[in-house]
Amino acid sequence: MVTKTKAETKKGSQIKVITGNAAAAIAAKLACPDVVAAYPITPQTEIIEQISKFHANGEMDCELITVEGENSAMNAVMAASLAGGRVFTATSSWGLVFMYDAVLATSGARAPVVMVNVNRETPGIIAVSSGQQDMICTRDAGWIFLIAEDCQEVLDLVLQAYRLAEDYDIQVPVMVHYDGFYLSYLSEGVDVPFQEDVDKFLSVLEDQPKRTVLTPGNGMGCGSHGILGGYMELRHKHVTALERSKAKFDQIDKEYEDIFGRAYGGQLEEYRMDDADVVLVGSGSMCGTIKTVIDEKRQAGIKVGLLKMRMFRPFPGEAIVKALKGKKAIGVVDRSLNFGHKGGPFYTEIKAFETQLDGSPMISFIDGIANTDITTVNVAAMIDTICALAAGKEVREVTWVSYPEANEPEVNKSGGK
Amino acid sequence: MAAKKGKLTKVLDHLKHEDPFSKGVAFCPGCGLELLLRFIPQVMGNDIVITGTPSCSAPVLLGQNNQSWHKLSYFGTLMTGAAANATGLARYYRKAGIDNTVVCFNGDGTAADIGFGNLSGAAERNEPFIYICYDNEGYMNTGIQKSGTTPFGATTTTTPKGSVHKGKNLRRMNLALKMAMHKIPYAATATLSDLDDLAKKLLKAKEAKERGFAFLHVFAPCTTGWGYAPENTIEVCRRAVKTNYFPLWEAVDGKIRMTKTVKKPKPVKTYTELIKKFAHLTEEDHQILQDDIDYEFCILGGLSVLEGECQLPVSAQD
Repeated sequence: MVTKTKAETKKGSQIKVITGNAAAAIAAKLACPDVVAAYPITPQTEIIEQISKFHANGEMDCELITVEGENSAMNAVMAASLAGGRVFTATSSWGLVFMYDAVLATSGARAPVVMVNVNRETPGIIAVSSGQQDMICTRDAGWIFLIAEDCQEVLDLVLQAYRLAEDYDIQVPVMVHYDGFYLSYLSEGVDVPFQEDVDKFLSVLEDQPKRTVLTPGNGMGCGSHGILGGYMELRHKHVTALERSKAKFDQIDKEYEDIFGRAYGGQLEEYRMDDADVVLVGSGSMCGTIKTVIDEKRQAGIKVGLLKMRMFRPFPGEAIVKALKGKKAIGVVDRSLNFGHKGGPFYTEIKAFETQLDGSPMISFIDGIANTDITTVNVAAMIDTICALAAGKEVREVTWVSYPEANEPEVNKSGGK
Repeated sequence: MAAKKGKLTKVLDHLKHEDPFSKGVAFCPGCGLELLLRFIPQVMGNDIVITGTPSCSAPVLLGQNNQSWHKLSYFGTLMTGAAANATGLARYYRKAGIDNTVVCFNGDGTAADIGFGNLSGAAERNEPFIYICYDNEGYMNTGIQKSGTTPFGATTTTTPKGSVHKGKNLRRMNLALKMAMHKIPYAATATLSDLDDLAKKLLKAKEAKERGFAFLHVFAPCTTGWGYAPENTIEVCRRAVKTNYFPLWEAVDGKIRMTKTVKKPKPVKTYTELIKKFAHLTEEDHQILQDDIDYEFCILGGLSVLEGECQLPVSAQD
């Protein structure tokens, strides 16, 4: 849960009413990257516009590369990172997909790139709308994935992402995700830290050993062709670094609180979970709505809690098991699809821990696809369904909350042939 | 004989630095690419940062086996974003105040085809590095497939000689001219039969990158893919120049100038006759190829005339 201390009002910060995109741009500015690559795509564009403005006004002393496509954005920041630079870029949806080969190369090379991805739908029709499908498209890319709930968390997560990506023990690129349209264009009060505090927070990295970088004349190479054992060694080191990043993220979250007065709980944020009988698992901007409905349901005596996923890669399995163990029923909300698999991606992955959860029944809710609002009414209906499940009633395993047609019994429309 | 000796000495004078490549590397005998790859750091210095992609250069440049190695700093990257990688390196070094010569070294598949978008983008942004395309007119490392620079008539494994279609039925793109049209500080063509010219252009490119983007298009024949005797690599280059198949020129800030004028260009047949990939060409086919060469050379000549540098070229047919 977000805890607020008196540090919030100390003179080192100021409240500004800004969009999620502006929060991301300001966070990037505060991190003082050496190289930024910029290419526009809705709903990310405002980030690079703001950064370009900072750059034009001399507020940001970085090399700004206005590339001719997202693929080049990722390739440029990957190389700059491997040469020793701190880098930033941002994208969304098709842009993320267009840079996919470079996204894989970046994590494989262990380049500590920080990128913001403003979530937007990808499949089929050009759905210029919110949805986490772009994130799901790249979940196996070997990056660390963090997800923000509101504009404040966007800013905080970008700063935390630098500590995580560039940590000597981690050196894995980090993608900060937040819901396009809902957070990208939503203006709300954001506590913007002062530069010296951010410098202090990031200075921990300077005290660490220097990572190996590509410098002219030193005879060092990266991107060698490697197969068999050498390749396995690198990939094993990569996955163990991802494992380490879980505890590291928890620790960074605590250190962040020490300086800025805000902590979220690291990998997971738990909302009214202590005495909860039933739980809704969600991520991103939907969590604000879910918290509101939980407060209402609590007043009606229903003991429901929220488990908010702040980290999606690596998958925080151990923390999830700890949080969900002993609960009577669990519902998982997904803003994306798991093509060819029952239920949403978060659901499927949490379901894999079923045996460790002592058989707590679990169901999947698909909602919020392509800008469909996850309303308080929808959330209330989800909670009611979870309660029914806890009471031993039979409910659907997968419910498309805003598309009732999907929940009808399957009929063979071809006439049974 | 004495004149020839003099020329040779002049080339050797440019080789001021060590050959950073181990001996006996994994290239085919007679490979044009190997000569070029060894030549570049000997002229430009061993402190270049060279970037390369999966290609014929990869087995050596990116260390595909234990027998092929070199002492250069290098970055093995993807064909799709090669110029963007070099951009990232050069920009960071500039920001950090690190002296650098980043050489983005790619085949025609990367430069003319899959990576052309970011090559053009880097040129438009006048990025401070050197892009060298070694053009062997196809995807040789994957087994000789057609690329954008494969010439008319040439057989490859994707433009084979069949009973209906015989070789590539399209013209090649003129990559170097396209790059010069970006009006970058330096663009040039070069080849291995004119090493003095190549060395000078490498040094000019190194100088030009202080002002921004430099592009070199180097004609590097492929004995295996084209079908000619390994000992003929230099002769193939020489005839490509003498037929205007591959004219040598440079463009400083877009200003085009011929660096070698061929007074009486030979018909293209004197070039194609050395190479098996053209073996099936008829007289008619040769005329199409010749017309295309003349057309391109006329454009080049016209552009250099516009700049007041050179006379309109004489067609080989005149």
